[in-house]
Formats: sequence, C-alpha cells, structure tokens
Amino acid sequence: MITLNDYLLVSGLLFAIGLAGVVLRRNIIIIFMCLEMMLSAANLSLVAFSRFNTVNGLPDYNGQMLVFFIITVAAAEVAVGLAIIIALFRARRTVHVDDIDAMKH
Amino acid sequence: MPVYSLEVAVVLLGLVLLMMEAFVAGKDKRFVAHTALLGLGAVLVGSFFVDRTPDASGFWSFYKADGLAMTYKAIALACTMLVIVLGLDYIPVLEKFTARVGGHGAWGEFFCLPVFICAGMMWMASASDLTSIFVSLELVTIAFYVMVTFMRRNVGSLEAGVKYLILGALSTGFLVYGFTWLFGVTGQTNLDVIAAKLNSGTVATVPAMFSFALILVALAFKIGAVPLQFWIPDVYQGAPTPITAYLSVGSKAAGFIVTTRILQVFLGSEALVHNCTAILLAVACATLLVGNLAAIPQTNFKRLLAYSSISHAGFLVLALAAGPAGAFGLAPGQIVAYYLAAYLIMTLLAFAVLVVINRTSGSDDLNAFNGLHQRSPFLAFALLVAVASLAGVPLTVGFVGKLLVFAAAVKASLWLPLGFAIIGAVAGFYYYLKVLRNMYWNAPAGGTLPAITLSGLTKATLLLLIAATVVLGVWWAPLFQLVRR
Repeated sequence: MITLNDYLLVSGLLFAIGLAGVVLRRNIIIIFMCLEMMLSAANLSLVAFSRFNTVNGLPDYNGQMLVFFIITVAAAEVAVGLAIIIALFRARRTVHVDDIDAMKH
Repeated sequence: MPVYSLEVAVVLLGLVLLMMEAFVAGKDKRFVAHTALLGLGAVLVGSFFVDRTPDASGFWSFYKADGLAMTYKAIALACTMLVIVLGLDYIPVLEKFTARVGGHGAWGEFFCLPVFICAGMMWMASASDLTSIFVSLELVTIAFYVMVTFMRRNVGSLEAGVKYLILGALSTGFLVYGFTWLFGVTGQTNLDVIAAKLNSGTVATVPAMFSFALILVALAFKIGAVPLQFWIPDVYQGAPTPITAYLSVGSKAAGFIVTTRILQVFLGSEALVHNCTAILLAVACATLLVGNLAAIPQTNFKRLLAYSSISHAGFLVLALAAGPAGAFGLAPGQIVAYYLAAYLIMTLLAFAVLVVINRTSGSDDLNAFNGLHQRSPFLAFALLVAVASLAGVPLTVGFVGKLLVFAAAVKASLWLPLGFAIIGAVAGFYYYLKVLRNMYWNAPAGGTLPAITLSGLTKATLLLLIAATVVLGVWWAPLFQLVRR
C-alpha cells in the first residue's frame, strides 16, 4: 500500500534535485529544466494531498484545480523563457551562466 | 458596476491596444501609448465609483474588494500610467535597440504589455485564494520577463532578462511548493478559511512553518528583500529604464499586498505568530543592512536606486513585522500602503529625470548628472525633491512614510530593528544626496553641454509629481483617507 508519506518523499526528492540543479549547473537550458522539475514536485504533492484529504469520500478537488493552473502557467513560462534564452544565444552565442557578465559592479 | 469590471476593462483595453498596434497603418505608434493613458485614466476614475458589495456567488471566495485592495488597485493604475509617460520619453532608446538591421524599431508592444501587467497587479490586490494569488502573480511575472528583455539588440537587457527569468521561475517553484504544504496541512485554498484553520490549534506547526518559509522566500523575490534580493541591481541596470521604474514601484507594491494578506494568515495564528515574527524581523534587519550599506559606494544612479529599492523593502517588512498595533490609527497593512503610495510618487519622479538624462547622454552614471543645474534647472530641482523625499527629509512625503514605520516599531518596542532602520535612514541621507554634488557643483567633463528641452507631457508629469511630493508631505490627510478607505 502506497501511503501519503511515500508520495511526499518522492516529491521532496524531486524538489531537492531540481533546486540542486538550479544552484549547481551552469547551462541555462538545464537550469530551466530543473526549474520545471521543481514545479512538477509541487504538482505531485498537491495531487497526493488532495487524494488523501478526502471530502465526503471524494478527493479534495481544490488542490487538483490548482495543479491545472500550475501546469498551464508553467507552459506559458516555458514559451516566454525559451524565447528569451534563444534571443540571448543569438546575441552572445552562449547559454552558460558564467558568460553572462555584461553588468558592471 | 461590480468591482471586477475594472480588471475586465483593463484586459479589454490591452487587447484593443494590441489590435490597434498590429492593424493601424503607420510607423509611429505613439497613439497606442496615448490610448492606453486615456483608457487607464478612465478606469482609475471609475475605480472610485464601483459597487464593492459581494454577492452570493462562489467568485467571492477568490476575490476580495476591501479598502486595501482598492488602494492597491489605484496604485497599480497610477503607476502604469506614469510608466507609460516615462516610456514615451524613452522611445529614442527603444528605437535604437529594437531595430532590425537597416529597418525600423518595433516598440509598439512596449505600451501594450504594461496594461496586462496592470490587470495582473489589480487582480493581485484582490486575490484571496491560493489559486488566484498564484495565477495573478504569474501573469505579472511572465509579462515582466518580456518587458525586461524588450531591447533585444542590447546585451545588457537580454542578460537582465535571463537573470530575472531564472530567479523568477525559482521563486515560482518555492511559491507553489509552499502553497502545496499550506494546502496539505489545512486542506483549504481560501486564505480566510486557512487562517481560521491555522488558528484552531488542530494543525501541525512544523509543516506550517515549512510552508511559511518557502512562501516567504518566494515573496522576498517579488518585494526585493533578503534572501532573494541579489537579482535587483543587475536586472534594474539592464532593463529599459521605464520598466526598471515599473519593477521598482508596481511589482513591489503588488508583491506587498500579497505579502500583507499571506502574513495576516500566519501572524493571526497563536501557535505560529512567535516564530513567524522572529523570522520577519531577521529579514527586515538583513534587508535594511544590505540595501543601505551596499548603496553607499555606488557610482551608477540606476544601481543606486536599485539598492534604495531594497532598503525601502526593509522598512516595509519592518512595518509588517511590528505587529497588529500599527501607528497613528493605521493598521500595518495600511502603513505599508501609505509608504508605497509615497514611494510611488518620489521614485517615479527620480526615474522620470533619469529617463531624460539617459536619453540625452546615453549613460546612467552619476557623472552624467554633472552640470545638470546649468543644463536644466527644472530637472535638477525635480531630482532634488525626489532624493530629498527618498532620504526622508521632513516636509516631503517620504518623511511621513518613514515616520509611520518608526512609530510602529517604537510602539511594538522593537529596539534592535529600530536601530538598523535608523542606521539605514542615516546612510540614506549620504548616498541619496550624493547626486546633488554632481548636479550643482561638478562641472560636466566635455565643457558645457547643450540645454535639455522637455516635452509638454513630461513637464506636466514632473510638475505633478513634485507638487504631490511636497504637498502630501505637509498635508497628510489625502493619503490617510486613501489608505483608510
């Protein structure tokens, strides 16, 4: 029997892997993928919470509604984000964060 | 008219503007900006005459129309209009950095997207459910990704956009994960119901604190507080100057109304209030310290304003952390609204001058202000009023905002954070007034520079903002009434 804790553990792992990727990797595309993983982690635990917090014997659909919004917004974010990354690549011929240093300190 | 027709009107206005931009012939798209100004002005006037009583429909569990929401809607509309005026002054720079090879610049959308951002900020002001908070916040953030990157032939703008994108998406990840845990421990998405549930004593405190920490990190990104404040100087420097002003005022204000609402939930809970207040005070002190001390050595006026924006966020978080007592009969949320209204006036005044300097000299450095007094006494005076108010000189509107925050901190006996705030305010006097030396005493490097001419609209806007800074600094009642609505 898979319990709520198992789902939360997997979701926590996903979130941690995503966060570690954002902090450690230097390629913007990979960083962006890791960011999406963090959103998926949230989606997984939301669905798990709403499945295990039953209301009158049914899953709590408030949480699942939030999941749909997160998926939609994440898609919009990817569309805009990739466009920005492509524009940067055209100008600089690089997608490495270490090369992004035009701003003077 | 029901109150949500304001947001509907703004979104429709945005769609109409996009269509006009695409299908009306002619290279000069200034009419888009003028239409946007007229439309937003009409909505701003209309916002004082809408019907705010909720009806029985389920919509009102996502949406709130209290006085605070109406104040922030007015702030969002006023800020968007002023940013569009700044944008009109900035067109020559946009033209240069959006042009195709051998072609014209494409800056028509520069005046359409802020209207959608405005709709998002107005929705944030009213959002009272995790779902509506998330969606409206993302509407604002995603549109800002585009606006920050708008000058796509300018490497600085592109890099600022990528930085904003990565950190914005990171804060979104923290926000939804925090929301997930808040939903997990309470089983609810409406803020009022969550507040009641957290206060009932049946909720596990550790996961609730975990969600508080995650949400606070995400909101710190929006309001520019520690620990997610480090994007601010770079993004502010790289973004088109009107958008920097918009980020600094509009985005921060919208972030603060959401912060106010979410903190009400956590600070209203007996079991959590102690730990949450301690965390908030630590954030406030760190933000005050980082913002003010890092501002001192800056030689670029745009970066200086960026650190100033961090330091103001510190004062505002301090006001929120000072507890429910407030000061001068204003609740903490109302003090923050007052401070932000004042901040809007003085910051946009400073940015309006910076836009003109940037357009005429192509630089944001403090050196670009050398001899400004000879080139345009009016501009120099406008900046004098703006920096005096930002520093908190008495008889300016910025002084009243700081006074309210200090009074709230004294009332709550927060002596250590108050010390940090005083250090911040004193440091502020030094780095804000530094620009005066450039304007009035330093001679420009290349001999005398030509005088600066201003358009009628810019002159009128500057006059309006100067008058507001001084008059509202002496006569406090109008802003008090606005935030007490």
